Amino acid sequence: MNKNKNMKQIKLGFPGREWRNQTVELFKRAGYRPNLEETLFRVNINDPQFKCFLARTEEIAEYVEKGILDAGITQSIRLSEQGIKNIIKVSEFDYGNNVWWKTKVVLAVPFDSKVKSIKDLKGKKILTRVLNTTKEYFKKNKIEAKIEWVNRPTETKVPIFGDAVVEFTNTGNALRANNLRIIDVLTETVPTLIANQNAWQDKKKREKIEDLGLLLSGARIAQDYAGLMLHASNDMMEEVLGVLPSLKKPTVTHLRGENWFDVFTVAEKEKIREIIPKLKKIGCTDIIEFPLKKLIV
Amino acid sequence: MTTRKIKIGIPKGSLQEHTLKIFKLAGFNVEVFPRSYVLGIDDLEIEAFLIRPQEIPKYVERGNLDVGISGEDWIIESNAKVEEVCDLEYAKRDIKKVKWVLAVSNNSNIKKPEDLEGKLVSSEVVNIAKKYFRDKKVKVKVEFSWGATEVKPPLFADGVIDLVETGESIRAHNLKVLDVIFESSTKLVANKKSLKDKWKKEKISDLSFVLKGAVKGEETTLVSFHVLKDKLEGILKILPSRGNPSITKITGTSWYDVTFIMLERDVKEFIPKIKRKGGEGIVEFPLNKAVR
Repeated sequence: MNKNKNMKQIKLGFPGREWRNQTVELFKRAGYRPNLEETLFRVNINDPQFKCFLARTEEIAEYVEKGILDAGITQSIRLSEQGIKNIIKVSEFDYGNNVWWKTKVVLAVPFDSKVKSIKDLKGKKILTRVLNTTKEYFKKNKIEAKIEWVNRPTETKVPIFGDAVVEFTNTGNALRANNLRIIDVLTETVPTLIANQNAWQDKKKREKIEDLGLLLSGARIAQDYAGLMLHASNDMMEEVLGVLPSLKKPTVTHLRGENWFDVFTVAEKEKIREIIPKLKKIGCTDIIEFPLKKLIV
Repeated sequence: MTTRKIKIGIPKGSLQEHTLKIFKLAGFNVEVFPRSYVLGIDDLEIEAFLIRPQEIPKYVERGNLDVGISGEDWIIESNAKVEEVCDLEYAKRDIKKVKWVLAVSNNSNIKKPEDLEGKLVSSEVVNIAKKYFRDKKVKVKVEFSWGATEVKPPLFADGVIDLVETGESIRAHNLKVLDVIFESSTKLVANKKSLKDKWKKEKISDLSFVLKGAVKGEETTLVSFHVLKDKLEGILKILPSRGNPSITKITGTSWYDVTFIMLERDVKEFIPKIKRKGGEGIVEFPLNKAVR
């Protein structure tokens, strides 16, 4: 739009590597047309108000704090790991590396190791990519161990280079493939939209960044929900409304010339599995479920 | 009674993915079998073939196919005498129209089409290219390109007439655009004789109707939200004018449900606005077809 032409572009950090696929998909669902050429380190979301830079989540966290970027999607663990405090947390999104759930940070040891819990790791060597998180975890548990930073891949380095690893896991496949078993979960990490404090003072920039967060979370939540529509007669209504979740007040419309109503609502897909048989039992007809693109509550 | 059939050509290559998506939205189940040019389609009255879009107009003209989907560029290039049934307004990816442009190397001293006099231009659309220079009265040697045309200047050709979607390939190969020759969209074309057959004509027109509906459905989206009575007027003012919102009072409350359709590409601007004006429980749904 022309009126936006003169607006300052927002410099946005876009996470590459393992967060790439899910992030691109979420932008698509949010209504952007992301185009990512990782071999050329280029990304564009087809919104003239955003200038995107493909970067690692470590860098995004740092550059947003310093103001080199106005905003970016980093990992929540990067903020604690790198001691980044002077930023605004805008939104968190529920996805991981190629999965639509949160990434976990776990402590793992070889299958045949005698180590049963963190207590057995006293004096042992722990390999990790998140040094500070690991150090803090061992300190909190009052266990002294040699904690060493390693570059990826971490999983393949035990037992030869160390006794245990603290590593990210999404599906557990990489751990299993390397004969590792999880003995504890340290924390979870989620993609987090953060903004620079100065950029946040600029009303226009702030609004655009907030809108981005709103649309991305709306698209993410919509994946877990579905629309539900059904017909119910007047005497069923009370029971029907009792069964339906109250996230979005159901829209009830009187069907012309009849004692029946059309009911429309949205609900979690998991709950819908239980709701539909109940509705059927009450006597509802024409029950349909359909997908959503965005849901903002 | 034997079932009558129409034969349809589906473009193989860059238009394929989007074409199959439109067919799915239109309600067909289409199956692509590996190494086969016959497509599986769950309509007994349709036989579908996967064919290069460059050749579809020719086969439609000859009557090997009753109907086909191809780019306007290939229809013009092949000079096929076919009947346009409808414009499907989609090209590769999300860009509706692709452009054919004349481009030269960024550091060449060719500034305008006339500077190409006596030079070599490479293109996949030789006939279109020749006509373009003939109309400009510039004598140029036009050579057929088998593809990857954008890499040819300056080593293999002085200029190219090539397809541009986002312009990224042009930039990546250090080319500059001198002129836009024409814009091309995707069309459903039919054989002239087939359209004289009453049954085929009806079948083709039904097909065109659902395909167009699917194209519209793909670019439109349904949005619904709740708003309190005193904020309703204010929020209706900002809605897109063509949405014709349906407004329903929620039984026993002072809330209203507002539902309307809008272009998908505008949604990302409207949703935050609706939220700021007091809309709650905003939901966006995908549509399969939209027919106005």
